[in-house]
Amino acid sequence: MLNKIGWKKMVILLSLLVIVLYPVFFHSKSYIMHIFILFFCWAVLASSWNLLFGYAGIWSLAQVGVFVIGAYSSGMMAKFTGISPLICIPLAAILTALIVTLFVGLPSLRLKGIYICVFSLMFADALPSVLTQTRKWTGGGRGLHDIPPLWNNISRVYYYYVGFAIFLFSLFIIYKIVNSSTGKAFIALRDSRDFALSLGINEYKERLKVFALSSFFAGLAGAFYGHYLGHVSPASLGISPFLLAIAMMEMGGLGRFPGAVIGAVVLVFGSELLRLTGMSRLTILGAAVVLIMLFMPKGLMQIVDMIDNIKLRKNATIK
Amino acid sequence: MEMLGEAMVSGIIMGSLFGAMAIGLTIIYGVIKMFNFAHGIIAILGAYLAWWLFSSVHLNLIGAIAFSFFLMLLVGMLIFTLIIRVLLRTPRWPYSTIIASIGLGIFLQNLLLQIFGPRIKSMPVFFEGNIKVGGITIGWHEISLVLIVLSLILILRIFFKKTTLGNAMRAVAQSPEGAKIVGINTLKIFSYAYMMGIAITGLSGVFLSTKCYIVPHRGWDWMVKGFIIVAFGGLGNIMGAYYAALFLGILEALVITYVGTVWVWNFWFVSFLIVLLIRPQGLLGGRMG
Repeated sequence: MLNKIGWKKMVILLSLLVIVLYPVFFHSKSYIMHIFILFFCWAVLASSWNLLFGYAGIWSLAQVGVFVIGAYSSGMMAKFTGISPLICIPLAAILTALIVTLFVGLPSLRLKGIYICVFSLMFADALPSVLTQTRKWTGGGRGLHDIPPLWNNISRVYYYYVGFAIFLFSLFIIYKIVNSSTGKAFIALRDSRDFALSLGINEYKERLKVFALSSFFAGLAGAFYGHYLGHVSPASLGISPFLLAIAMMEMGGLGRFPGAVIGAVVLVFGSELLRLTGMSRLTILGAAVVLIMLFMPKGLMQIVDMIDNIKLRKNATIK
Repeated sequence: MEMLGEAMVSGIIMGSLFGAMAIGLTIIYGVIKMFNFAHGIIAILGAYLAWWLFSSVHLNLIGAIAFSFFLMLLVGMLIFTLIIRVLLRTPRWPYSTIIASIGLGIFLQNLLLQIFGPRIKSMPVFFEGNIKVGGITIGWHEISLVLIVLSLILILRIFFKKTTLGNAMRAVAQSPEGAKIVGINTLKIFSYAYMMGIAITGLSGVFLSTKCYIVPHRGWDWMVKGFIIVAFGGLGNIMGAYYAALFLGILEALVITYVGTVWVWNFWFVSFLIVLLIRPQGLLGGRMG
């Protein structure tokens, strides 16, 4: 019985241990650390999207836009008011949640399925023109530069641990949400709306909740990302980050808890390797998305399920 | 006054071009109920094929366009049998098709970029010369485009109302189960509708490429416009898509003339928001006609 539940926890603990100890042993290899920090941001973004898309079944495609809103609002707050970025990041996340719930969440209460898709895509596409028109504050098409770092003379190791803390915090909360009655309500509304309504689930309230929560986490990751890189530009709203995030969510397994994180591991490190192929990077990514959907519709979580099944069968035969 | 007139004219022209593109989308959505997120790049693909046939194979203009239409039918069949048909069998097809077609779109876009390079291409105009009406200059080419799109819509209306295949498509659109009961092979109808949608989209890409230049990444922009038009007019309704395209085209031209190019999206967003809040099913939603 112990080794039946044991292996998953073992893998999670081992990988957390590796992440914690990595800078202690390899603190000179800052490139790998950089990729790890990117991985933290992407994993939170993909997990928050998974909450919205996979769990609640709301087909919003604006999540990368939400991420960028988080980066811009925290960056601007820290740059122009001089408040410490450590305070700006959570404030920006709350602000992002407010903006997105107001502009995307509220209108989409009236919409269904595919209309939300189109609507959120439009929201994301209207953002670059807003950014280029407000050049005075947002830096226009060239982007917002000189975003203050978390504190002066910060080294990459600290970014690493702050990123890791944000990663752990977000995933822990998302895990709690998914397994709480709220998460169950999301799933119920996704799978059988009428039945869920008849059980007394308030659809509007749950939908607003999921919008607020998912955009909070995406904004949090975005705000950290902005302070880490020091600049954000409308280019982050381009097709390549969008595809990467979608592929992560899908590769890990839609509507499964650690799915998006597994997808993020594979894709962040995989896409760094694919940089070697140069031009064909996006071609390969695009083809991979199609092939995964065709041959592994449940994503990499399917492999986890397979191992579970094999273990279960083994135990059965022993008895 | 002249500025207003010119804006209206260019709005009508661009509107009918985008209307033609939205028709392909609306046929696919209307019959299969799936959103084709590879739509923009399909339009670009059609334009590139016609351009390649015209400039490298040296077919004449009509021959190149006709042959590219034929090739796009084949492309549609290929995509349907290899990807869409497989995904439609799975229970979560509404969003697996969305994600797979996004992936397909990016794949095709970068493939085109690698084959043809990033240099801009454009098709020659159909007719030279222009005509002056009340101080506004309109090219014969533009008039021919508007007329071609109108006749395309007319042909499609007759197709959907009079022919057996068209009626079968409408039946499947209204109720796939009901269509199955009366003996319609829904999968076959899906594949015909998909092929038709893709071919018309490719054709609209050719028309667009005579009016503005084409590069692979433009497809995404066109596609989002197509989505808005289709959702605006009511999903799956051809006339709705056409009216919405005209409305949004004129709005775009007016915004460009009086406010500025970068604000187009924001105006579209707001008008889309207003329409969806009043009529969540779009202008003429809920009917396939």
